[in-house]
Amino acid sequence: MLESAISIRNLSKTYPTPFRRLRAFFRRPVKEPVEALRDVSFDVREGAIFGLIGRNGAGKTTLTKIVATLVQPTTGSVSVRGNDSVLHDEQVRREIGLATAEERSFYWRLTSEQNLMFFARLHGLSDRIAKQRIRELFAQLELEEVARRRFGEMSTGNKQRLAVARAMLSNPPVLLLDEPTRSLDPLAAARMRELIRSLAQRDPPVTILLTSHNLAEVETLCERVAIISRGRIRALDTPQHLRSLTSKTEQIHVTVSGLNGSRDSERISFTRQAGDNELDERLRDLQSGGARILDVEVERATLFDVLEVYERGDLNLNQKENQ
Amino acid sequence: MNSLKLLPRRIFAFVARDFRLFVSYRMQFFLRIISVLAVVTTLFFISKIFAGFTDPQYSQWRDPLASWLTGLAVLNYFMTGFSSLANSIRQEQMQGTLESVLLTPINLPTVIVSSSAWDFLETTFFSFLYLFFGRVFFGVQYRGSFFLAVVFLLLTTVVLACLGILSASFAMVFKRGDPFGIFLGAGSALFSGVFFPTQLLHEYAGPKLGNISLILPATHGLQGIRQILIEGHGLAQVTQPLITLLCFLAVLLPFSLWVFGRAVKRAKREGSLIQY
Repeated sequence: MLESAISIRNLSKTYPTPFRRLRAFFRRPVKEPVEALRDVSFDVREGAIFGLIGRNGAGKTTLTKIVATLVQPTTGSVSVRGNDSVLHDEQVRREIGLATAEERSFYWRLTSEQNLMFFARLHGLSDRIAKQRIRELFAQLELEEVARRRFGEMSTGNKQRLAVARAMLSNPPVLLLDEPTRSLDPLAAARMRELIRSLAQRDPPVTILLTSHNLAEVETLCERVAIISRGRIRALDTPQHLRSLTSKTEQIHVTVSGLNGSRDSERISFTRQAGDNELDERLRDLQSGGARILDVEVERATLFDVLEVYERGDLNLNQKENQ
Repeated sequence: MNSLKLLPRRIFAFVARDFRLFVSYRMQFFLRIISVLAVVTTLFFISKIFAGFTDPQYSQWRDPLASWLTGLAVLNYFMTGFSSLANSIRQEQMQGTLESVLLTPINLPTVIVSSSAWDFLETTFFSFLYLFFGRVFFGVQYRGSFFLAVVFLLLTTVVLACLGILSASFAMVFKRGDPFGIFLGAGSALFSGVFFPTQLLHEYAGPKLGNISLILPATHGLQGIRQILIEGHGLAQVTQPLITLLCFLAVLLPFSLWVFGRAVKRAKREGSLIQY
């Protein structure tokens, strides 16, 4: 078994200004090249769900497209299951499936079935296997009802699910999912999350690089999360560790009844260090005082707080750089 | 399975996709058939003006209707040769589907061959219609070996497809304003002898302008096909245009593939694959 399904080393990407010298020669205004990624390095182990979070324009899409071989890096390298994304791009494309929220990537006048059939043939599947696979995917993603509907006539949520189905067509060992639940209703989103989790757990497992603005989703699904901002990885760790980076304390709210003989319920709040014994001791004290524990709520820092801190840090950094 | 083994399946994928898209606009199909019939009928009546007046030195033009129909049928093919790939790439860019096609494990030559396949099938049908309507409704006679004519047609089309690949490379980098399409589109109709003998260009416009026809592959292709279909010549008599076309192919094929590869790399570097 390979250790890393995706390995990214010192990856930088600067989008050049097209025809820069020609424009300069004709004294036309020349835009500065755009630096989208700077020195990004990380590994995703086989079977892991790896989250990539960051604000719009942070570099998530560029990173995903480089992994998918659609954009070439300026420096550094990406390898997918041991294949370099530039030198062995065709092999890399065999190993990955990309689902984006881009609706325009399908043929609107074809039905969802015809669309998938086209891409299945490009993946080299025979018609018999392709039909069977499409049937399986339609069942798995609850798309049977819209199999014969033109793509242009489908709801946004179904289009989104079809994009995921297309990414899974050739059973790739690596999936790149760009906001897979963005347009889904809450029930469909929950089922999609369940599907993502089950893919990572099956044998052989599917490695998933998940980019999302839904931080709760990333927190629930991902084994490790990278925070990307202005093209740089600011932090990379498990969601638990990332949360503890911003605040080591947790706010605890305990609802009790019967405390000191009172019949009314009361809410007691206190702050504790994550992982200490205080919660255990407090609960024991309350129970020995005759209280009945009705509810315990824990208010922890979320990935949102972490993201916010890094973005604020960035602003400060930029101000210093400008000075 | 290697790419070569999968090539037929992938070509079929594009053809099936384009056929489905084509039949989703049925009305357009019938209108095109009617327009071909209208053009053939119009040319028939124009040819009647020249009946018995054509200069005997232009042996391929004794029956102007036969020459025009061959010219139009073949021009149709040639135009597809050099415009089809650029058009498919541009269309995929505009639709936003190019990225999803390039995300599948197919190589560049496959994309090139496959994305034009349907256009060639469609053009074969409509080019055949010109000849068919001429024969059935207006009694146009064709002589010589159809097989040899098809060989010439395919060879010229492949040469023009190389120019089409250059055109597609241009579309990939500059997105619009393709000079190959403009020069070859207008140039082929004017200089290749589709509507009149190329010798007339020499006579009226002088050798400088007249020689332009010699650097266009379509001129040689058309000359060969007319020699076969109208004059009834065999292989031994059409070796000159055949060798000229093979020389064009030897130079243009590797060059155009190299340029296209560079264009895709540049678009990937600039991240502009789906821009148009």
